[in-house]
Amino acid sequence: MAAHSGEMRKRTFVVTRFDPDVDQVPKTQSYEVACRPDWKVLDALNHIKDEVDPTLSHRWSCRMAVCGSCGMNVNGEPKLTCKTALSEYGDVVEVAPLANFPIVRDLVIEMDGFMEKFQAVKPWIITAKEKAAEQGTNLQSPEDLAAFKQFSMCINCMLCYAACPVVAKEPHFLGPAAIALGHRYNMDSRDEGAEERNEIFRGEGSVFHCSYANECSEVCPKGVDPAAAVNQAKLGAVVDWASSFVVKRSR
Amino acid sequence: MARPSHPEAMTPHRPGSTRTAPPQVPDDFWTRRRMLTYLLFDATGLPYMLVGLVALRVAFALGRGPEAWASLMEQFSHPIYVALHLLALVSVLFVGVRFFRLFPKAQPAKLGPAKPPPAPVIVIGLYGAWIGLTLALLVVLGGIWP
Repeated sequence: MAAHSGEMRKRTFVVTRFDPDVDQVPKTQSYEVACRPDWKVLDALNHIKDEVDPTLSHRWSCRMAVCGSCGMNVNGEPKLTCKTALSEYGDVVEVAPLANFPIVRDLVIEMDGFMEKFQAVKPWIITAKEKAAEQGTNLQSPEDLAAFKQFSMCINCMLCYAACPVVAKEPHFLGPAAIALGHRYNMDSRDEGAEERNEIFRGEGSVFHCSYANECSEVCPKGVDPAAAVNQAKLGAVVDWASSFVVKRSR
Repeated sequence: MARPSHPEAMTPHRPGSTRTAPPQVPDDFWTRRRMLTYLLFDATGLPYMLVGLVALRVAFALGRGPEAWASLMEQFSHPIYVALHLLALVSVLFVGVRFFRLFPKAQPAKLGPAKPPPAPVIVIGLYGAWIGLTLALLVVLGGIWP
């Protein structure tokens, strides 16, 4: 194991606690932790869980910013805690569950609402006619791939939902990641489902709720730029609506 | 500390078996630099509305004849009107700069068979058009041409 240079630094972690069997509302609890200089926020939370208070609940998995499990609000900003160095912070670090989500317990949020929105945009390839396996694969040029690749890099960490001021006020809004994913399939040269998705984009959770605050893109840890996707999707939804008056629809 | 979001924000249609605490946002979210900038951007609607009302006054004064017009022009030298117009100018500059920064990435990846120009070209084009139109208006309204 590599040696850890530098001195330990004592920090106070102000962590949101909520026990659904006991608490009516969330509260905070402070923990004093001597932190190693190379620690991420997640390391400190794991230390608290392992050494100080085993009742603390938080989600994490891969520790390398790929699985998207460890998203939390750190000093008010949505962050992947496995990627966020403690050296960026001072002596007091506030860790709260992701904003705008119901809280299941402590730092664990309810994800089902997010999954419903995800499913709503039909995030799969839709084709008018199923292609038989013997007809071969669907070919795609590098240029076609480049049109949507950026939007397929999302790891579903939900930081964009925690940052979005519209999500905070409009519960029906599909939200950044779901729209980015729907737009990703609309841009896919193999897909024929844009009409269906554009109808969803114009529906109850409309893309037009977005006021382009750009917060989703500011906090995205993977550079997906959901704000770009949402605003491109707005144009796509309008063009699709307008063209429906002049071009007869197949479905 | 935190304050409530919309109570149904990100709430599933079918609630789970565990009781959950309502969604929250950080108490001071609106004072954070980026969010404050966004809220100021939203607030620029107020000076636009006030300038719109002033524009209606201008139109009515124009219809009432030279005396009403002269009286209104005199009122416009009042510090409140000067401040309002300065505020509107600052708002337009603020919104313009923000819009030009965010506009390129909102463009579709393809415009029919063609690709949109690179972002720097779009931004230079927007600023060029803005400055050009402003200069053209100044030339016409300033009586330099025609």
